[in-house]
Amino acid sequence: MLKVRFHGRGGQGAKIASRVLGTAAFLEGYYAQDFPLYGAERRGAPIAAFTRISKEPILERGVISEPDVIVVMDETLLDDPLANPLSGLGKEGLVFINTTHKAEDIKKRYRIDANVLTLDITKISLDILGKPILSALAGGAASKIVRLKETSLKEAVTRELSDITHEKGLIEKNIEASIYCFNALPSVLIKSNASHKKSDVITMPFEAADISSPSVTIPANTPLKKTGNWRIFKPVWDYELCTKCMTCVMRCPDGCIRVNEEGFPYSDYENCKGCMICAEECPAKAIRKEREVHAW
Amino acid sequence: MIKSIKDLTFEEQMLPGTPACAGCGGLLALRHCLKALGEKTVIVNAAGCFTLLCVYPFTPFKSSWLYTAMACAPAGAQGVRDALNILIKKGRLDEKEDLKVVVLTGDGAAYDMGLSSTSGAIYRNLDFYYICYDNEAYGNTGFQSSGATPFGSKTGTTLPAELNPLGSELSKKDLFEIWRSHKPPYLATISPSHPVDIANKFKKCEGIKGPKLFIAHSPCPPGWATEPRLSAKFAKLAVETGIWPLKEALYGEVKHTLIPKKFKPVEEYLSEQGRFAHLFKPIRQEEAIKNIQERVNRYWK
Ligand SMILES: Cc1ncc(C[n+]2csc(CCOP(=O)(O)OP(=O)(O)O)c2C)c(N)n1
Ligand code: SF4
Ligand code: SF4
Ligand code: SF4
Repeated sequence: MLKVRFHGRGGQGAKIASRVLGTAAFLEGYYAQDFPLYGAERRGAPIAAFTRISKEPILERGVISEPDVIVVMDETLLDDPLANPLSGLGKEGLVFINTTHKAEDIKKRYRIDANVLTLDITKISLDILGKPILSALAGGAASKIVRLKETSLKEAVTRELSDITHEKGLIEKNIEASIYCFNALPSVLIKSNASHKKSDVITMPFEAADISSPSVTIPANTPLKKTGNWRIFKPVWDYELCTKCMTCVMRCPDGCIRVNEEGFPYSDYENCKGCMICAEECPAKAIRKEREVHAW
Repeated sequence: MIKSIKDLTFEEQMLPGTPACAGCGGLLALRHCLKALGEKTVIVNAAGCFTLLCVYPFTPFKSSWLYTAMACAPAGAQGVRDALNILIKKGRLDEKEDLKVVVLTGDGAAYDMGLSSTSGAIYRNLDFYYICYDNEAYGNTGFQSSGATPFGSKTGTTLPAELNPLGSELSKKDLFEIWRSHKPPYLATISPSHPVDIANKFKKCEGIKGPKLFIAHSPCPPGWATEPRLSAKFAKLAVETGIWPLKEALYGEVKHTLIPKKFKPVEEYLSEQGRFAHLFKPIRQEEAIKNIQERVNRYWK
């Protein structure tokens, strides 16, 4: 059995990517299983999705804690202690990372012993689809890595996306992007670590309500969460053009924009989610959008 | 009265880093409501997207926050108000330190599940604020249709298909009138694209004892299938097309706080949103679009 785990941010398409891979495998006669895991959070927050592929019926259930292949759809997740995308990866395993950086550099920086493949699939999706929706692309990358056929991938993307959209053109563009990623990667022989570790049954002791219901006594501490790594684009101000009208300040849903001593607005990039409402609303067009590249 | 956004306070009551989606219109509305309310509040939040704002051990609020089940935030607010009153009466809380009790819920709770407990709270003349962020469906659980879902909208439970080409065939409830029929001293509709209007409405009802109720039209990128950057634009378009009238009722008397000089056609608002896309593609559903325009025309006549 081959176990693949996808890590993405809500809205990027990790769930559909896991389905594309599962369906492609199924079409080639394998047994397949795919499902997502959501936290309590929303679009932009880390999510994981899982695909199991096997020649035999799959009896294993639940999340994959020791994957053979990990697909990291957003490089910033590598620094995220909650997402912890590399957990359970063995030396024989393989990680695919969506990044602008080279595999050797990634291995060094994140101290990864396993095999690493990289490709900037965000750029490919922006070029072909016009938006950073990575489901078909990550599904394509994963299909190549686990040595499925191009024809099954094509059919899988069509089937999965037909459930979501009726736009023919969009499905075709997704197929194009998916195949592009498929062909851009080498296929690799992966030794599956077939061992199945039993997980312990978790028991929850009864606690009285005053102990078991937690309370937060520090006011307004969410800035510690640093939602800035949700961004794909960042707003950049041009003070030559800015008229200090304060529109951007009052339009930011998160209240990330503050005003400096000279009265010019600036964003708290630690938490700005990159929604780009500020850029859209600025009457003077003084805010431009720049692709966010994870700088080391 | 505040005239321009430059006069709005820079003081924030809710800080960044929340788990709400990028471009959440409801969050923008809430940010402005809290700016207007100030620091001395206690928020009573029914289950919905915004319960996730306070996931242990984090909170974006400078004030206190309490989580209730979906149907009973106004009942929770009654409990908090009573407790505060008792503390004041016993001399354990200075009247100057009193807190404003603020119910915060989505439209699923406001229009449907919590309607009876709201009815009870208004009936008892509970001294509280109610802020409903109306994203026109049950957002947190995947955008299922609610009593606030407009005619023609696609939702998780009203998927347009051959037999049901319209998406939702039902019409949005008029919560403003439902609430107004209870005769609360103040209620208003607001929009995140009109923060000055929000500030002035909160100013207007300041000091009034009893229910003060607000319904905020709230663009929701994942549910509406719109780009996050366009949330403010769609909020504005809803006002400019007349779909979302900005109004208030002080002691029952309705006054529109903004009447568009020239109404934009509803199509401008509908055609760019994924949840209405089926009205335009693959075939244009002329009847439905006309129907929506006529509803708006009838309202403003
Ligand atoms: C009694 C009850 N039923 C169902 C749920 C599950 N639930 C949690 S949030 C939610 C959606 C709430 O919708 P809405 O009030 O519109 O707020 P939004 O999610 O859009 O913010 C539902 C159905 C619940 N918490 N309680
Ligand atoms: S991109 Fe969005 S979150 Fe960031 S500063 Fe602009 S409005 Fe705020
Ligand atoms: S909206 Fe544009 S012009 Fe106005 S303050 Fe912001 S950057 Fe300056
Ligand atoms: S689902 Fe909609 S209402 Fe809920 S947090 Fe996201 S944008 Fe806001």
